[in-house]
Amino acid sequence: MISLLYFLVLGFLVTAVIGLWASWFDRKLTARLQYRVGPPLLQPLYDILKLLKKETLIPFGASKITFLAAPMIGLVSVMIVSTILWANNMDPQQTFMGDLIVVVYLLLVPSIAIIMGGFASGNPLASLGASREIKLILSYELPFILAILVAVIHADFSIRLGDILAAQARNGIIAVSWSGGLALLVAVVCTQGKLALVPFDTPEAETEIAHGVLIEYSGTLLAVYRLMKNMMLFALPFFIIIVYLGGVRIQGLHLLYGTLEYVGIVAVITVIRNTNPRLRIDQVLKFFWGPITLLSIVAVLLALGDY
Amino acid sequence: MNRQEILQAIGERFAEDIISVFEKSPKRVYIEIKAGAIVGLAQYLFKDIGARFNIASGVDGRNSMEILYHFTVEDVDLVISLRVILPKDKLAIDSLTPVFTAAHWIEREIHELLGIHFIGHPHLERLLLPEDWPEGVYPLRKDYKEWDPDAIRDRGA
Amino acid sequence: MGILDKAFLKSLWVFHLATGSCNNCDIEILDCLTPRHDIERFGMLLAGSIKHADVLLVTGAVNRQCIPRIKRLYEQMPKPRLVVAIGECALSRGVFMHSYNCPLPLDHVIPVDVYIPGCPPRPEAIMSGLMQLIEKRKAEAGSTKD
Repeated sequence: MISLLYFLVLGFLVTAVIGLWASWFDRKLTARLQYRVGPPLLQPLYDILKLLKKETLIPFGASKITFLAAPMIGLVSVMIVSTILWANNMDPQQTFMGDLIVVVYLLLVPSIAIIMGGFASGNPLASLGASREIKLILSYELPFILAILVAVIHADFSIRLGDILAAQARNGIIAVSWSGGLALLVAVVCTQGKLALVPFDTPEAETEIAHGVLIEYSGTLLAVYRLMKNMMLFALPFFIIIVYLGGVRIQGLHLLYGTLEYVGIVAVITVIRNTNPRLRIDQVLKFFWGPITLLSIVAVLLALGDY
Repeated sequence: MNRQEILQAIGERFAEDIISVFEKSPKRVYIEIKAGAIVGLAQYLFKDIGARFNIASGVDGRNSMEILYHFTVEDVDLVISLRVILPKDKLAIDSLTPVFTAAHWIEREIHELLGIHFIGHPHLERLLLPEDWPEGVYPLRKDYKEWDPDAIRDRGA
Repeated sequence: MGILDKAFLKSLWVFHLATGSCNNCDIEILDCLTPRHDIERFGMLLAGSIKHADVLLVTGAVNRQCIPRIKRLYEQMPKPRLVVAIGECALSRGVFMHSYNCPLPLDHVIPVDVYIPGCPPRPEAIMSGLMQLIEKRKAEAGSTKD
């Protein structure tokens, strides 16, 4: 079984380090695309340490327990998710049946933590941002689950991540087939929504509603939220790599391939982030419930037909 | 209608209200009129000639206050400014807000900064000054005195 | 200086407040975020909410109506906090010293750490002022802290 050491070291430390590096890579690539010099390498770490030094202000009209608990819930769920993903990557036999459903469920909890935090703030702008985040979740969850269904079909209808990895080790990675490629495309777009990045960052629009959901958070709680987001920037592409690209084998050249795959997905997310304007929330809904859901249904049908 | 026709029409129709006409340049004309005729003239300019009410400006002179109403006739590239002179002991004039709503805010601003009362204005209240500004103190008058004891008026150098 | 203090100076988030200015200083501040004078290389970001901000950049001669609002915003900033006055109007009200609507200069309303003169100051001057803010903060880090 997964020991506590596994949880702390792999689930938290390694994920946090890689997540912070990915956040730096995203900011540096953004700066380079905008023809300027970006921040230094340790900048995300400085941001989080600085936030630990600021005082935490709790608004008067906020519900205190939810306000304080929401970031913690988000962070703990990301830690658990990355522990399960690492456990599957290292040794596919040591996890349990149905852990795919647990992972999909837990990948939703950080967004729910943001929503809880937004509604508990007692600020109308935060409530506005939180309600937009709810609409965002309602839009991208369906295509995301349909895209994962493609991988499940390829692995002979088994809802266990270990079996998906084993099927890919036998037959080759899922992404090269027609259905797999479409599903990978849909999953990357849904990741953009899950991470609340432009073009889908309406809940947290910086200049429009003064940081929306996180408007009342300061100090340590904001540091926990930022750490949670950075760790999600690692957990989601890692999940995509496990499900569609066969995981990362820690062995010589395959480690290099895995690193390149991860950096590639983060780079694609960053480039999409920089070349698109922010959409309105009803445009986001139409986009996900229209073309993207259609693509994912086509992918599922192709997978059922063995393509 | 071109420029000459417009000025001629105004001159004929309101001959007893116009005190003087000053053509400063091909594009600007200043017409000084009596205070009681402003509503009729504004209505004529707005509805019949089709001029647009641009802005109104108020000046605190030595013996009297004057208000200038600026109308633009865009097709012929003309700005007509109507000058009204008010004596300092009787600072009241008919409001133009019932004629067109564009005069609503500017008349409030002239009232709170210069102290001219507009008769018939639906909502003559303070527009820009803060709520704790004392009543009856009009900042843009020449005899305005500093009433605030906490204000700091030197650089401390 | 502890690691948290060093991290504080390497990642200052600025919040921009315009109190009745002509907006030229505001344009120059936004100019600092553009690719030519990039302040993100020093770790400074534009914060959307006052509760995320470390430095309050104030421009404009302070109106009577702005005085209670500036005080409320200053109190909502979490400590440790710094204030920078940018442009002549924020320093001493400039040409509006005798205006009926600007009774007090900015440093009689909130405490100011760094003054950046200019009308408007160039983006290089604003960045040089922010660097002096960091130097000043480093110098007083050992003694008293707010």
